[in-house]
Amino acid sequence: MFTDRFLKGRRGVQLGVEERAVLEGAISEVRTIDARATIVRAGEPLSNSTLLIDGFMCRYLDDREGMRQLVAVQVPGDFVDLHAYPLKTLDHDVATLTAATVAIVPHRALDGINATMPELTRKLWFSTLLDAAIHRAWLFRLGRLDAVGRVAHFLSETNARLLPVGLSDGSRFALGITQNDIAEICGITNVHANRVLRQLREEGLCVFRSSLVDILDVRGLARRGQFSPDYLYIDTDMTRSPNESQAS
Amino acid sequence: MRSPPPIAGTQTRPGIASAEAGLVLLDGPDGIAVTMTAYAASETGKSLIEAAQRAEHWTEPDT
Repeated sequence: MFTDRFLKGRRGVQLGVEERAVLEGAISEVRTIDARATIVRAGEPLSNSTLLIDGFMCRYLDDREGMRQLVAVQVPGDFVDLHAYPLKTLDHDVATLTAATVAIVPHRALDGINATMPELTRKLWFSTLLDAAIHRAWLFRLGRLDAVGRVAHFLSETNARLLPVGLSDGSRFALGITQNDIAEICGITNVHANRVLRQLREEGLCVFRSSLVDILDVRGLARRGQFSPDYLYIDTDMTRSPNESQAS
Repeated sequence: MRSPPPIAGTQTRPGIASAEAGLVLLDGPDGIAVTMTAYAASETGKSLIEAAQRAEHWTEPDT
């Protein structure tokens, strides 16, 4: 099913059988999109929202000189622009980072859910609030952490987000983004990102190579990035890697 | 000379600068992660030293 990863492992918002069937029925189309394609431009009118099934996507803003700041990274199971349902236009662009498969959900179908299924509506609302919680963590990351801390926080967060949707084994995951993307996520230059990734490797915390992330010390990396997964509202038993669960 | 009033968030530990690929990276204090050209770093350094000297000689204005 296309919605299998939506809110998977999130605390108190697991979809019931009927809710999942309704959400699946709300999908009008499934599309594959090439990597590095912008699918939504800021300011354009929108009548659909997009559920990410596979791949990685981002929300971004460009400064006056065209330098990009990523303001969110979306992983499989995320709605990339559910906030477009009430807003109808976005204040940022949305693009693929990797090749992606997405499900299109027309806003008129969301109107129907909103009118008839309050509990499912609450869960959709939850997912936008989860986005807001992640945005707050990104503000903290950029405002309070140094370069190593920012990258450590981002990689720890991504590991924690991919674990419940089955795309991390708790310490190792594919992340089809570039070093330059990491720079644009963390508000640093490519040279800085390169140095930080080397430092994390030399400190025995994490290796990022060929779009594969191998966290050598999950707790150490989290400590370096002042990362705690509380804001992701993940079921407690899913915040620990299988290795940690076996050890406890 | 009196010490300036304490302000929350004021850094007491210095940032660390390093050179990488012909550029200067400044890491920390917390929240700082900047890449500069050698010229920009040198001028920033001078400006920081001058500001630090003024701050060291700061006196509370008469009220």
